[in-house]
Amino acid sequence: MSAPATCEVSRLIDQPRVDRYAVAARDPNPIHRETPEAYEGPFGRPVAHGMIVLGMVSEAMAQAFGHAWAETGTVKVRWRTPGLTPFTATARADLKKDEDGVATYDVVCTDDRGETLLTGTATVRHR
Amino acid sequence: MTHTLQFTDLQKGQAFARLPLTITNDDVEAYLESTGESSAAWQELVPPIYLDAVAIATLLSTVAIPKGVMHTGQEHETVRAARIGEPLTLEMRVSGLSERRGAIIAAFEAELTDAADTIVSTMKISVMALPDGVTA
Repeated sequence: MSAPATCEVSRLIDQPRVDRYAVAARDPNPIHRETPEAYEGPFGRPVAHGMIVLGMVSEAMAQAFGHAWAETGTVKVRWRTPGLTPFTATARADLKKDEDGVATYDVVCTDDRGETLLTGTATVRHR
Repeated sequence: MTHTLQFTDLQKGQAFARLPLTITNDDVEAYLESTGESSAAWQELVPPIYLDAVAIATLLSTVAIPKGVMHTGQEHETVRAARIGEPLTLEMRVSGLSERRGAIIAAFEAELTDAADTIVSTMKISVMALPDGVTA
């Protein structure tokens, strides 16, 4: 069985979503919310949690592999550019190699301004 | 929020958290609702990246992170899936600490184990603290 193709995951990341994530993930860092710290910070405005877009990468892998992703998945990423809300993020995973039952994907998340938000690799054992 | 540790006091190899953890269905539902991902696939298992979010929350509640710290990288390796409702233990330590042009680069490793003390997953959080007055 060869490794399946993955589907892109696209989603609007706006401030209400970021605010909900801050509560659900218990991440109170003020640079993610409409706070003076965010506007006086390094990006001049609130930035989305990088973990939201990493979650979209995981979602793309879960859609392709189901429980195998939860049981055997690995992911390693670096954030390249902060996501300044609001933006539409698109996560993609492209098959890089498939050896000994382990599929390796190059993963990337971009925004609708053409910026690369995140790059990395993901692996999953699929047989 | 009262923090146990200051960022500037961290030392490489230092363990700074060990806590019992049980992730509930409500935790997973709230997380998925916030990210926008469907909960259909996550009725029994915990979404792996939610485990990273829990580790980051533990880091943020334990270590006073200075302004301007950027989350630069994340790694997650699953040994087996974490199940909703199962008792787990999260341990965290400082795995890397260095300085480059005044910026502090730190890495934190998290290990999640089950009731049998078997590893469920490991994670690594990388951050960079810029020197005062420097912007990204």
